[in-house]
Amino acid sequence: MTPEEIITSGNLELYVCGVLPPEEVAEVEEAIAAHPEVKRETELIEQSLLHLAESVAPPVQAMTWTYILNSIRNIKDKGDNKIRTLNWPAITGWAAAILFMGGIMWMLKQTNDLNNKLQVTTTENTVLKEEKSTVENQLAENNKTLEILRSKEYQAYTLPGNQAVAPEAFAKVYLNKKENVAYIDIKGLPTPPRGKVYQVWSLKMEPLTPTSVGLIDSQNKVGDGIYKFVNFPAPEAFGITLEPEGGSETPTLTQLYTLGMITI
Amino acid sequence: MEQPNDLIVAMQNGDEKAFSRLYTMYSEAIYGIIYSIILDENTAEELLQDVFIKVWNNASSYSIKKGRFFTWLLNIARNTAIDETRSKSFKNSRKNLSTTNFVDILSSSDSLNRATNAIGLKKFVNALKPACIKIIDLLYFKGFTQAEASKKLEIPLGTIKTRNRTCINELRVIVLG
Repeated sequence: MTPEEIITSGNLELYVCGVLPPEEVAEVEEAIAAHPEVKRETELIEQSLLHLAESVAPPVQAMTWTYILNSIRNIKDKGDNKIRTLNWPAITGWAAAILFMGGIMWMLKQTNDLNNKLQVTTTENTVLKEEKSTVENQLAENNKTLEILRSKEYQAYTLPGNQAVAPEAFAKVYLNKKENVAYIDIKGLPTPPRGKVYQVWSLKMEPLTPTSVGLIDSQNKVGDGIYKFVNFPAPEAFGITLEPEGGSETPTLTQLYTLGMITI
Repeated sequence: MEQPNDLIVAMQNGDEKAFSRLYTMYSEAIYGIIYSIILDENTAEELLQDVFIKVWNNASSYSIKKGRFFTWLLNIARNTAIDETRSKSFKNSRKNLSTTNFVDILSSSDSLNRATNAIGLKKFVNALKPACIKIIDLLYFKGFTQAEASKKLEIPLGTIKTRNRTCINELRVIVLG
């Protein structure tokens, strides 16, 4: 169709009304694009119809546009909200608070544990100090004893075991004859059975006169297995017998463990 | 009137100001179309909002190369309004108004838009032949196809197109001088 034919066909009117059959639309659009007079005709038809429609419209409320604007913005906002449904700032805040609380609890527990450990360590330290003090005292005592036994005033004698009773036994005596002080080392004697105690005797030979020097017990102990005795008659020999607890008036010769002469 | 293609493209790119200007240009006519179908101001107002929200949300589906923007709006408006007339609530509230046309609205209402123009226009529209009123009402306001209009008006299919052209030419003379 020529532009003139299209204009007079009535197709432009149907096109603007939106009721032109689809298969004829392309031809009209080509003509509008190609011929300014067809385009102009289309615009005039549209303008007439637009005015006609406007003339039958009641007054449009001013609020209508506001509603439309709010609606399209709400849709936008809803879209935004969807992205923010997780609300990261709040989650981060809560996570931080929980971590912080957890951290505080952990530190409190650590402090508590450390305090307990400190207490245990302090107690251990006290015990160790006491032990150390004891050991030091013992060492000092032993050194003192050793010092005495090494001095020239003391002579050392070995009391051999009685062949009949305890052939393996022996005892050592360190004797200060001037002052009648004796240290006896009983390391070579077997441990006495329960209820029995070793007793030391000072012996005069002619006639045989035994005098009790003392018991091998804690009262006379001065070191590990070393016992100190004073105030006894000058001996010619020392004997050690096993006696009932508390000791005896006279030695039980059947239980004589060691016997040794004190030679000058 | 040339189509404001710059504004249409700007709206398609999310420009609210462009959308606002397009609303100003077309909302009255669209409202007139909706109202001529619905014949209830409150419902027509709501549908006018719906139509322009649809326009904004579906702006990208319109192409300047394909069809007039006004025709695109017209189709959305008519479809929205006709859908409403098919809804249960609408059927319950209104009955048998389908025979009312735009001339009835013009002659019966005193509170029309552009009051002074409308009064002047009313005279001219009254001057339109009854046959023209019917055919413009069906093809333009109601969106009938030629075949549907032919059946409704009981005139031959071949006559519809030419009669429509003649009637719109008469309207042009009245409206545009």
